[in-house]
Amino acid sequence: MKRKLAAAIVIAGMMVSVSACGGDDGDDSGKNAGPDSFKGQTLTVWAMDGSTPDQWVKDVTAAFEKKTGAKLKFETQKWDGIQQKITTALSESNPPDVLEVGNTQTPAYAVTGGLADLSDLKSEIGADWTPSVSQSSVYDGKQYAAPWYFTSRVVIYNKKIWAKAGIKDIPKTRDEFFKDLETIGKKTDAEPLYLPGQNWYLFDGMIIGQGGDLVKKEGDKYVSNLGDAKVAKAMEVYKKFQSYSKAPKDKDEANPQQAEVFAKGKTGAFIGMGWEAGTAVTANKAIEKDLGYFPIPGETAAKPESVFLGGSNLAVAQGSKKQALAKEFLKIALSDQYEGELAKLNGVIPNKKALESNLKGNAVAEAIAPGAAVGGTTPLIPEWGAVENTPNPIKAYMTAVLNGKSPADAAKQVEAEINKRLAQEN
Amino acid sequence: MSVQTEGTDTAGGPAVRKARVPAPRGETPAPGTPSRRGAAAPYLLLLPALLATVVFLGWPLVKNGMLSFQNLNPRQLIQHLTEWNGFDNYRDVLSEAEFWHVVERSVLFTAANVVLIMVLGTLTGLLLARLGKRMRLLLLVGLVLAWAMPPVAATTVYQWLFAQRFGVVNWTLDRLGWHSMADHNWLSSQFSTFAVVLLLLVWGSVPFVAINLYAATTTIPRELYEAASLDGAGAWKSFTSVTLPFLRPFLYATTFLEVIWIFKSFTQIFAINEGGPDRLTETLPIYAFVEGVGNQHFGVGAAISFLTILVLLVITAYYLRMALKQEEDEL
Repeated sequence: MKRKLAAAIVIAGMMVSVSACGGDDGDDSGKNAGPDSFKGQTLTVWAMDGSTPDQWVKDVTAAFEKKTGAKLKFETQKWDGIQQKITTALSESNPPDVLEVGNTQTPAYAVTGGLADLSDLKSEIGADWTPSVSQSSVYDGKQYAAPWYFTSRVVIYNKKIWAKAGIKDIPKTRDEFFKDLETIGKKTDAEPLYLPGQNWYLFDGMIIGQGGDLVKKEGDKYVSNLGDAKVAKAMEVYKKFQSYSKAPKDKDEANPQQAEVFAKGKTGAFIGMGWEAGTAVTANKAIEKDLGYFPIPGETAAKPESVFLGGSNLAVAQGSKKQALAKEFLKIALSDQYEGELAKLNGVIPNKKALESNLKGNAVAEAIAPGAAVGGTTPLIPEWGAVENTPNPIKAYMTAVLNGKSPADAAKQVEAEINKRLAQEN
Repeated sequence: MSVQTEGTDTAGGPAVRKARVPAPRGETPAPGTPSRRGAAAPYLLLLPALLATVVFLGWPLVKNGMLSFQNLNPRQLIQHLTEWNGFDNYRDVLSEAEFWHVVERSVLFTAANVVLIMVLGTLTGLLLARLGKRMRLLLLVGLVLAWAMPPVAATTVYQWLFAQRFGVVNWTLDRLGWHSMADHNWLSSQFSTFAVVLLLLVWGSVPFVAINLYAATTTIPRELYEAASLDGAGAWKSFTSVTLPFLRPFLYATTFLEVIWIFKSFTQIFAINEGGPDRLTETLPIYAFVEGVGNQHFGVGAAISFLTILVLLVITAYYLRMALKQEEDEL
């Protein structure tokens, strides 16, 4: 009988290995020691892929080490799956001290209590932060992150291919753009546009352009607004764009990296962030001289397509034991000198109006500006973060429409999932 | 992977022993008074394995069980709050239609895989027994290499093979004249995604079954075949009345193991298409991950993983009963 029991235990053990959900509990550590001397300490900063140009890292590190005597360590993170990673990191007893957090995801983290209150920093150095940019980090009247930069998508095109197709001017309206893409398709053997089916931030911009929104309020709850006619119209526009591309309808712009596809020199254009041009050049140096940029054209020449204002904030982990040092870092990184340098190097829009002069002569930034003026974001509510979790139901909606479903049917298919996520309690 | 060896010991072992070496059985219980030290020795030898099991399996399991009764989201995780919510997670999961779809899908998917693996694996195993020395070695090396391939590497290779624009499979089909396949998206539908995953899983599992059964055939005494042919048995008859009875315990044991492995396979399914399109290829482990870790609903995820174990217990109940009964017969 004993052996029977032993056998049962071993078998149960085998099955149990099926479930691999572990949760680790670190020790609680709410103490924020006030270090008098920073010497010998190392501040860890999590920055996102593409945010921090090498030159900037070098300059900021030098300034930081000179002022504080502490060491600075940058760790680059990928956007894919970042929410889970940050949540886990914030729960640990030794989290990264400073984190770059996407503007649309900031409210969700602010609610969790994982970010330190930076209201005092705001009153110290943030008097002239652009209000619309700073807003995403305010929750319950407290500033949970400092606005860092924002940017948006532009059309990045291959001048050589456009010239080969005989196109002289950049398009001013959406119809002109479509006509140009058609010409490229006819006159060259290049793919006119590389646009995968799930570039959902581009789609979000188009929704804003139609005057629509992704959620609506029903009573005191937010629910999906994907069934709205304006959203459907934006999706039709996206579908038309996508018809010029052979890119997969069920992938996003990072799989494969669209800039790397473009870098092969067989693609007329793609719609991406300014820094993606750098990715293309890294993949193929020869493409650099052929790169051109223009704002995504809108319905009329007077108003370009609205874009999603993707931005990033810098936050300090509540669990970090180096609060004072972290704030020293923020003061340096966000100072006019280095904020300006970042804007200049990356072609991103800085957190203060006064620093925008740094963008003069920067082709990317000049293409961004018109669209940004009519841009917007995803809903800045704490509930929104959960909707962006993989698998993102909005991406499923897009693929469904591109594969022939009517926007209304596609919306019905995913709305239950979106509402479930919006209703998740924290 | 230590789990595998444990499994083979309990599952395959007794039956084999019974078939091959009945002699030493009488002597184990016979001697009247074994010394105390001698009695403790087996348990001491077991200790390291048991300890490892408790630390790496038992403790996480207890923690996981506790999580499944908690409301644990990012806020609770980050602030280290413990909010017990009784059976809420289980109730929520069980009342969701999606969960039952996933259960059904997991069971069917496992069945399809295991049937294919067992048929192809057994045939390959029998082939191994019949091959000449050199060919057998060649085939064995091939099988071992496939078996030794880490799942992530294998999955990456399959992803490339079946990539839409630059995949070798599409390229080959196009070259062979099937031009509509040039840009075929293998991962666009539930069925075809499952087909790719199935190919990957079957390919990865056949070696284990084949080698196992080949080993089993070596235990069959040659004389039995001679006797069978003297009695006028043909190839099929001698297979069903000599080979098969010897292989039966091995077949049961490997089927049982394959059911477990396929049912719990995560890496391959997730890496190929993340349970897509539209979450239609999510099996229970993937579902637990997406709901638990992906949606940061850790308590719910833990509850699903526990239900997964329950489902697996039900599926394997038949074999478990048999194995336990065998143990009883032996005593």
